[in-house]
Amino acid sequence: MVRYIFIFMIFFSSSLSSDIYSQKCVGCHRDMPYSLQEIFMKYLLAYGGENNVKAGMLHYFIYPSKDISVMPKGFLDEKGIMDHGYIGKENLQRSIDRYWELYKVKGRLK
Amino acid sequence: MLKNRVTNLLLANEKRSLYRFLILYIVMMIGIISLISIYYYQYQKQLMMLNKRVILSDYASEQARKIKSLHFLFPEQNIYPRDSRFVSAIYDLEYQKIFSLLKSNEINFDRELYITKDKKIHFIKSFDDYYLGAKYLILEIDDDELWLHNTWQNIIIYGGFAIFIFSIIGFFLLNLFLSPMKTSLNIMDRFIKDTTHELNTPLSAILTNIEMMDLDAINEDNRKKINRINIAAKTVSVLYNDLTYITLENDIYKSNEKINLKNIIEERVEYFDILARSKEISFTLDLNDSFLVVNKNKFTRVIDNLISNAIKYNKRKGHINIKLFENSFTVEDLGIGIEPDKIRYIFDRYSRFNSSEGGFGIGLSIVKNIIDEYGMQIVVKSKINEGTSITITW
Repeated sequence: MVRYIFIFMIFFSSSLSSDIYSQKCVGCHRDMPYSLQEIFMKYLLAYGGENNVKAGMLHYFIYPSKDISVMPKGFLDEKGIMDHGYIGKENLQRSIDRYWELYKVKGRLK
Repeated sequence: MLKNRVTNLLLANEKRSLYRFLILYIVMMIGIISLISIYYYQYQKQLMMLNKRVILSDYASEQARKIKSLHFLFPEQNIYPRDSRFVSAIYDLEYQKIFSLLKSNEINFDRELYITKDKKIHFIKSFDDYYLGAKYLILEIDDDELWLHNTWQNIIIYGGFAIFIFSIIGFFLLNLFLSPMKTSLNIMDRFIKDTTHELNTPLSAILTNIEMMDLDAINEDNRKKINRINIAAKTVSVLYNDLTYITLENDIYKSNEKINLKNIIEERVEYFDILARSKEISFTLDLNDSFLVVNKNKFTRVIDNLISNAIKYNKRKGHINIKLFENSFTVEDLGIGIEPDKIRYIFDRYSRFNSSEGGFGIGLSIVKNIIDEYGMQIVVKSKINEGTSITITW
C-alpha cells in the first residue's frame, strides 16, 4: 500500500512540475524570437554545469535584471525584461528542474 | 731452481679489505649510473611530454572549434566531432561527464598532461566559455612507448659502456692500492727466503753434533745445558722446516706415498718430547693404524705444527692428548685457548694471537694449506683458559 502511495506521489509531483512548466513557461515563450532551447544553450554557455545553470536561472527569476540576463543586449533593449509572474520558489525550482531535463546536452550527443 | 711461492699471495685480512673496497666501489658505481639513468629517464619523459603537449594543444584547438560550432547547431546536429588522430571527452565544471569517447577513465583534472596506468596520454584543455556546457576538453592518444624503448636502449648501451670504463678505472685503482702490499710481501718473503737459506748448515751441524754427543760422559750441569741447546735447536728446526715449505719449492714436498700416520706421530712425539719435558707437559697417545697416501714431509709439517703449538700454548705441567683413528687425527691441549672471535683468523698467514710466544705465525697457515690440498677438513674447538682441540678428518 505504502509503495502505491509513494509511486502516486512521484507521479503526482512530476505531473505537477510538468504542468506548472507547461502553463507558466512554455505558453509565454512560444511567441518569442528565441526558442526555449536557444535560451537554454545561452544559459549553458554562461553557467556550465547543472547546479550552476539552475542556480543562475533561479537567481535571475528572483532578481531579474538586464545586467545578469544571458540574452543579447539588442534583444533586451528592444523587448526589455520579461515579467515572469510569481509562482513561488518551490514551483520555480520544479520548473527549472523540468527545463533542465528537457533541454540538457548530456545524453543527447551521439 | 728455487722459486718463491708466496710472492703473489695476499693476506686474508688485506683480501677482505680489498673485497670491501670492491663492494663499495661497485655500489658507488651502480649508484652513480642509476642516478644518471633516472635523471636521463625523467629528462626524456619530459621531452616526450613537451612534444606531445605541442601536438595535443593543436588538436585541442581544432576540437574546441568543432565543439563551439556544434553548440550553436545543437540539437539539430548532435553528432559529437570525432578525429582519427585522437579520441576526446567533454566534462562540465562540476567534473560531470557530458560525452566521452575515452578508453581510459583515469582522469586527473589537476594536471594538464599525464600518462594513465593503461598507457594513454591525456591532455586536458580548459574552456573559458562553456560550449555544450563543457569546461574541460580531454584528448586521449596512445602512448606508443617508443621514447621509453629508446631511453632504455640508451641507458643499457651507455650504462654498459660506463660500467666497462669504471671497471677499467677500478682495476687500475686496485692495482695501485695493491702495489705497496705486494711490495711489502715481496720484501718479507725475500727476507725469509734468504734467512732460511743461511740457517740450514749451522742448524744441521748443531743438531747432528748434539745427537752424536755421549751425554753420559759429561757432568749433570753440562748435560742440562746441552739439553737446553737441543730444545732451542729443535724449535728453530721446526721454524726452519716451515719456512722452507712456505718459501721454497722443494722436491721433498712433491711425491706422495702410502704412510702409516701412527709411525710418524710416534716419531714426532719422541722428537718433541724434550721440548714438552722442559715445560713438564705429558702426552697421552691413543693411536690406531691409519694409512694415507700423502707426501710424508708435508704431513710431518702438519703434525709438527699441531704438536709444537700444543706445547707452545700449553700451561706448565699441562697435558696433551693425541688421538688417531682410521679417518681422523686430533691434538688436544689444556692451554690458554683462543678467543671465539679470533678462531676464524688462526689460519691466516702471519697471524699471531699471543706475542709472548715466538714464531712468525705461519704454522697453522701451512697446516690449512696442506689440509686443503688433500681435500681434508679441519675443525678447531677452543675455550679460553681451558684449551684447544684441533681435529683433522678425511
